[in-house]
Amino acid sequence: MIADEASLARLMAASQKGDAAAYRVLLAEIRLWLERYFRRRVAPAQLDDLVQEVLLAVHAKRASWDPGRAFLPWLAAIARYRWVDHLRRVYRKAEDELGDHDAIEDSDEEAVMARMSLERLFVHLSAGQCEAIELVKIEGLSIAEASARTGQSESLVKVNIHRGLKKLSALVEKAD
Amino acid sequence: MNRVPHSLIDELAADLAPVRPLRRARGIALVATATLVAVVLVEVIDGFWRGIATGQASPLFFIANGMFAMLGTAAALAAIRMASPQVGNSHEGTRWALAMAALLPVAALVVLGLQGDLGQVAHDPYGFGCLIAGIEFGGLTFVALIVWLRRGAPVSPPLAGTLTGIAAGSLGTFAHGLACPVDTLAHLGSWHVLPVVLGGVIGRITVPPLVRW
Repeated sequence: MIADEASLARLMAASQKGDAAAYRVLLAEIRLWLERYFRRRVAPAQLDDLVQEVLLAVHAKRASWDPGRAFLPWLAAIARYRWVDHLRRVYRKAEDELGDHDAIEDSDEEAVMARMSLERLFVHLSAGQCEAIELVKIEGLSIAEASARTGQSESLVKVNIHRGLKKLSALVEKAD
Repeated sequence: MNRVPHSLIDELAADLAPVRPLRRARGIALVATATLVAVVLVEVIDGFWRGIATGQASPLFFIANGMFAMLGTAAALAAIRMASPQVGNSHEGTRWALAMAALLPVAALVVLGLQGDLGQVAHDPYGFGCLIAGIEFGGLTFVALIVWLRRGAPVSPPLAGTLTGIAAGSLGTFAHGLACPVDTLAHLGSWHVLPVVLGGVIGRITVPPLVRW
């Protein structure tokens, strides 16, 4: 069970004051939250690396959370930023399988979580961009394979990936 | 799933030191101070236009400089907010302020175009000096915003850079505007707008590498 917004905010506030015990609990909770958050949009083999990257980012930028504001939208913004960065750099190995356990668990915060989800970002991409990014950057197909699968030319696949990632990076704080 | 090593969490916890959270109020105070210093420098270096106090300034003088101040404030607030990222942050307000300020050059273009007098802009002997002064007096605001963004975690560096440049250009041209007695539409709608445009371009190009993390 991942801690709720209020508990996480309390832990973060204590961590900003230097409470190492609270910080250890907070990081463990954040790790669980991130594993669930990234599950569908990152290849399983790369999930740990990405979670670690975000944990390091949280550590380096912990002063940028304002205790007067909600914690999870801050964490989600950092997670999305690192995720887009990750998509730019990493290709998934072909043998990796995407999990089908991405559904957000029922909770009082489900609506809030839905607004912060990675899925919400894809709504803003064109169908071609979405398809190209999913096939090449997440499922790990080559440009040629994605081209054959989608019917897009190889150049178009590249253009769609480039423009799609650029658009995603501009949407990091977008909630709707 | 529990694969991220505990050692990483232990290392990060061991490295923990108290931090001072970024509060918007302090960012606003920093940028306001930088702008205030720029205004004081304008008085010291060029001297405010005394016609402002004696009623010689046209209504357009107040409208134009008021628009620059408002645009600069809106852009600076948005840039300050970007240092503390949140899913749900919106920067739409600056776009509307930018659209509002764009009325000035559009009005100049339409009026001067209809009058066949667009050459007035090119032959303005004070124009280039105002452009340079606007950029120079925005320098402090530019630096202050970069310092703030570097302390934070902007998740859209290109937008943060553009907003930083627009804020610095607008507040710089506003500060210099207090010393400029040329209050015609041709002058204010062109040479005083250019620092905003150039500021945005400069910010878009130079700031992202400085604030990326």
